[in-house]
Amino acid sequence: MSQLSTRHLIGIKFLKPEDIQLIFETADKFKEVLNRPIKKVPSLRDVTIANLFFENSTRTRISFELAEKRLSADVVNFSASSSSVKKGETLLDTVNNILAMKVDLVVMRHPAPGAHIFLSKHIDANIINAGDGTHEHPTQALLDAYSMREKLGDLRGKKIVIFGDILHSRVALSNIFCLNKLGAKVKVCGPPTLIPKYIHRIGAEVEYDVNKALAWCDVANVLRIQLERQDIKYFPSLREYSRSFGINKKLLDRVDKPIYIMHPGPINRGVELTSDVADSKQSIILQQVENGVAIRMAVLYLLAEKRSHNS
Amino acid sequence: MPDLLIRNARIIDPKHKGTRTKDLLIQNGRIQKIGKISANKNTKIWDLKGACLSIGWFDIGTQVGDPGLEQNEDLDSVSKAAMAGGFTGIASYPNTKPVVHSKSGVLYLINQTKNNLVEVFPIGAVSHNCEGKDITEMYDMREVGAVAFSDGSHPIQNSGMMMRSLLYVKPFNGVIINQALDYNTAGDGMVHEGTMSTSLGLKGLPSMSEELMVQRDIYLAEYTDSKLHIANISTAGSVRLIRAARKKGIQVTCSVNPANLCLTDEVLEDFDSNYKVMPPLRELSDQKALKKGLSDGVIDVISSNHSPQVAENKNLEFSYADFGMISLETTYSIINEALGEDIEPIGIVEKLAHNPRRILGVEIPKIAVGELANFVAFDPEAEWTFKENDIFSKSKNTPFIGKTMKGRVLGVVNNKKQYWSGWA
Repeated sequence: MSQLSTRHLIGIKFLKPEDIQLIFETADKFKEVLNRPIKKVPSLRDVTIANLFFENSTRTRISFELAEKRLSADVVNFSASSSSVKKGETLLDTVNNILAMKVDLVVMRHPAPGAHIFLSKHIDANIINAGDGTHEHPTQALLDAYSMREKLGDLRGKKIVIFGDILHSRVALSNIFCLNKLGAKVKVCGPPTLIPKYIHRIGAEVEYDVNKALAWCDVANVLRIQLERQDIKYFPSLREYSRSFGINKKLLDRVDKPIYIMHPGPINRGVELTSDVADSKQSIILQQVENGVAIRMAVLYLLAEKRSHNS
Repeated sequence: MPDLLIRNARIIDPKHKGTRTKDLLIQNGRIQKIGKISANKNTKIWDLKGACLSIGWFDIGTQVGDPGLEQNEDLDSVSKAAMAGGFTGIASYPNTKPVVHSKSGVLYLINQTKNNLVEVFPIGAVSHNCEGKDITEMYDMREVGAVAFSDGSHPIQNSGMMMRSLLYVKPFNGVIINQALDYNTAGDGMVHEGTMSTSLGLKGLPSMSEELMVQRDIYLAEYTDSKLHIANISTAGSVRLIRAARKKGIQVTCSVNPANLCLTDEVLEDFDSNYKVMPPLRELSDQKALKKGLSDGVIDVISSNHSPQVAENKNLEFSYADFGMISLETTYSIINEALGEDIEPIGIVEKLAHNPRRILGVEIPKIAVGELANFVAFDPEAEWTFKENDIFSKSKNTPFIGKTMKGRVLGVVNNKKQYWSGWA
């Protein structure tokens, strides 16, 4: 297989396991490129990519932009707060305006779940989802699984726990879909108020006990906790969260095997992770960031091959 | 209206068990003769060829859009949509702009539609602006023709106000209509909470949030010994609770709408906002329980839950799209198909025509010589394709465009006026 089975990367849900393998193999090659003295390749010369961010982002936007530039694509950036867009121009109008300037690929982050599916019914450009509300964040899940694969090899039968706010997390959802497709076993751990009631139906078991979760897993993927963004209080305080569900050195020392610590960033030091864990040898957080660029280069490269006028 | 001769009509009337296929002659809007009738020269003829005829249907809850939301619907367009769907009477929900919460609001709707083919029976608001705080002047509204009271698509959250409104309408044997959804537990959910909502990352509306309010309202109806109608139930649990309440003799009735009888949350996979409806589309087990509730009589009424929304409110990202689906024009076909053999035409007619009028205390038309003709002709076997160009409603928010359905409304007669689709 040398081509993806899909024109867009809207969700891990829509990928086949072979697609994921192809993305990983392509990322291997680009990772090698990234370690050369000259990190730029001409693969996407004359391809124009629009990064449309309807929601704040720093690291994902930079990672995509860097991946695009390393591939020699022409890049335009658009960012808007979701509220101003909602009140004024519709998503379709905004995107069509930008596409009228002959854009080949759209990378979009949007606060509404399913926004990319909606868009894909109305435009011709290939679409990459850089996060749609609480639905999916496919490139994050791909880079997470890719980073795990680097450390653990084949993920079949490997055990991964996702800690934290599962209810509001697109990263958790995409990770669950991705890891299941690769044959890994997934559990989620956090306060019950932050775990969707039916999460077990989509391939993740629930564990409320942090000690048991850590003892079980090969990898702990710890998500960012944001008390300030929640409109309802799902837990009373960061202090209590940290004491009950945060990962610290003491907890890790109780586990009798090495486990890898991951985090999609940005870290709330002292809340979901203590600094001594985040900066420990077990932590592969910065490798995730590095792999993010390679994974995004792979996705962009493979989707550019599927451009509508190419197919 | 010229003389109308309806030929070979299979009369569906719960008062007469067994099938009668007859001709009916209508002169000056009244039934002149029933039997075997030969036509005069100037008589207009509808030959039903054995298709069904019943009293005109009655919708217990329609969003009419007028006043204030005329971009979605107005009295003319909603009447035409109702007519095409076989309804000769519709009860209008009060959550328009302004809200129908005074007698002038009620009178406006009545005066605008008096003696029309489709009559509008206003439901007055329970609370000012449907805000759920202070009860309205319901005696006033009742006096000028409000048939029931409800906050429409706003479920009444305040238990105290719900109790007081049930008490307040007792002197005139009034009925309070509530859609059940507890906002505290439902949060800003927008689809049924289950596998699909979890997989789509969309906030869920637990079945429990509906059932919590159904149970609360049953308690309040029991305590106040007053009449409650729960509109558009959607869960198996609600059917179970209402069944138990009816056994205890509590005065509770309920309705279900076509979308919940023919669709489940499986259709949400594509984030098509036409499926964003309230109550949400639930699971197959709920759908089965609703069908059983209909056939065993726990569910009294099939309501359209007609909720028009212009494209600007619908053709958006799922989260930003408004709730609702137009449905007056497809109600019969959808339920005819969804219920299939489970229910006889006579059962459908009871749920669409007799029960809603009985619950609201609206006079039930009769099929007898000398009576005003108030009919619908329909064919349970006819297949047709629902096309966008055929839609009478101002809004087109329905997922059924292009769908071929079995069961079709042929025409309606009421108030000396008639509409014939020309499809028979």
